[in-house]
Amino acid sequence: MKGLAKSLMTTLSVFARKPVTRDYPNYHKPIPERDRAFPLLLWDFEIDEPFCTGCHACERACPVECMTVLMKDNPNHRSQGGDSSRRKIIDKFWIDYARCMRCNICVEVCNFDAIAMNNTWQGHELSVHDRSDLVMDLPQLLAQSKTGNLKEWVAD
Amino acid sequence: MTSELFGADLNPWVDAIVRLLMWVGFMTVVAMGLIYLERKVLARFMARIGPQKTGPMGLLQSVADALKLIGKEDLRPRNADPWTFELGPYLVFIPIFMSFLAIPLVFDWHIRLFELGLLYFVAISSINLVGWVMAGWGSDNRYAMLGALRAVAQGISYELPLVLSLVAVAIFNQTLNLEEMILFQGQTPNILWQPLAFMIFFVAALAEMNRPPFDIPVGESEVVGGPFVEYSGIRWSMFFLGEYTALFIMALLASVVFLGGWAWPLGEELGRWWQVILMTVKTSAFIFLVFWVRASMPRLRIDQLMAFSWKVLLPLTFAQVLVNGLVLAYEWDYWVSRVALGVAGLAGIVLLYAIIDRSVRRPRPRPAPVAQSEAVTA
Repeated sequence: MKGLAKSLMTTLSVFARKPVTRDYPNYHKPIPERDRAFPLLLWDFEIDEPFCTGCHACERACPVECMTVLMKDNPNHRSQGGDSSRRKIIDKFWIDYARCMRCNICVEVCNFDAIAMNNTWQGHELSVHDRSDLVMDLPQLLAQSKTGNLKEWVAD
Repeated sequence: MTSELFGADLNPWVDAIVRLLMWVGFMTVVAMGLIYLERKVLARFMARIGPQKTGPMGLLQSVADALKLIGKEDLRPRNADPWTFELGPYLVFIPIFMSFLAIPLVFDWHIRLFELGLLYFVAISSINLVGWVMAGWGSDNRYAMLGALRAVAQGISYELPLVLSLVAVAIFNQTLNLEEMILFQGQTPNILWQPLAFMIFFVAALAEMNRPPFDIPVGESEVVGGPFVEYSGIRWSMFFLGEYTALFIMALLASVVFLGGWAWPLGEELGRWWQVILMTVKTSAFIFLVFWVRASMPRLRIDQLMAFSWKVLLPLTFAQVLVNGLVLAYEWDYWVSRVALGVAGLAGIVLLYAIIDRSVRRPRPRPAPVAQSEAVTA
């Protein structure tokens, strides 16, 4: 009997509280600064090309083998009359987000700070109808960095 | 012969049909509103928001559900008994609708005012058990049958405390006419002098309406929906309509019999709209109480349920009836008899508390522990 009254009071106190539900798709709660979604490539604005040289370090280190990297000679290198110091540059890059396990190893092994973990909501909102749509190619991987809107922490 | 409806003279049959349609439409809207409110209120009890996407603040959610139910196919299992299966839902919800007839909503504004209104109400509201049995039996489904049997066992058991608590009030007020009851409560509502009767009425009404924590006939985890397992579409929605209409009507009856209806505490000479507001407030409070209990209590086991009705509630209602008769037989003056009744009611509540407390704390026989050494060696 005392328990009945207690349970009634408990529910009433919850009733008086504000609901914890958020209107999710319309409202995104701010995610923590060091949140880690999927890896993406960064854009070197000084020379206007990707940081990535296609060295395969990340591809070799990746425990789940979700990356495919192809390298090419940089047409913008100094020897070709350009202003870049990168002899080689990335040609094609695919990351299978469906396979990636967000372990951050690719970021740690990268010698050029060319890859980073996405810490924005765009890195989380990845629902697609076909899982092949989760295989990202080079333009898709660079797109978010190219807008210049990435937060500091990612670009470090 | 003509009858008048909103100033227009109509053939009595046309008049009856128009009134019936208005009435069914109104009750459908009330049921949809109650479903929406229940979902919203229950959500707040669980720190959620509830329906919010359909229409402004989810207001159209019930409409969408109703349209979906109407559009759904009305299936009948091959082995089902056609007549009992198809007529079951009607027998569930027609008596509930009919029980509304006797309830005075506002002064001089009711469908029919019976001299024996309370008797009519308790008589007609127990018929729907037949509908439950028909639904359970006609479905040719074990879960449905089991649910129907539970519904009937529970319905009949709790009918007694419900009716007897109303009888206690009727003895006290010395009338079965609901409007006279309201007038009798001019200064103080019955709940003050009959608290035990109100408590028993509330518990028994919860069981009668199959509301949690007494929803064992339709418990999903035990009998997967009970008598309406096999129903779909419009027939299934009839059960739902019946359930929420019953809730509304029980709340109306409680506010008439125990809370003073449209009269208390603002008096009888008030304007009609004040009376409507008073009735709305009282009915809403009762309905909120029902939702609140639903959010707080777990479902009872069936033997606990039956034991509570027969061993606890029924003797207490008998005691209440006897005490009422005794106090009124001595014909003390107004306040003395009332205070005596109130004290007796409070004593009854204390007794109820003691009984439940004792049964909860009673040491239970535990199964003999398995011999440790034996279990290990085996």
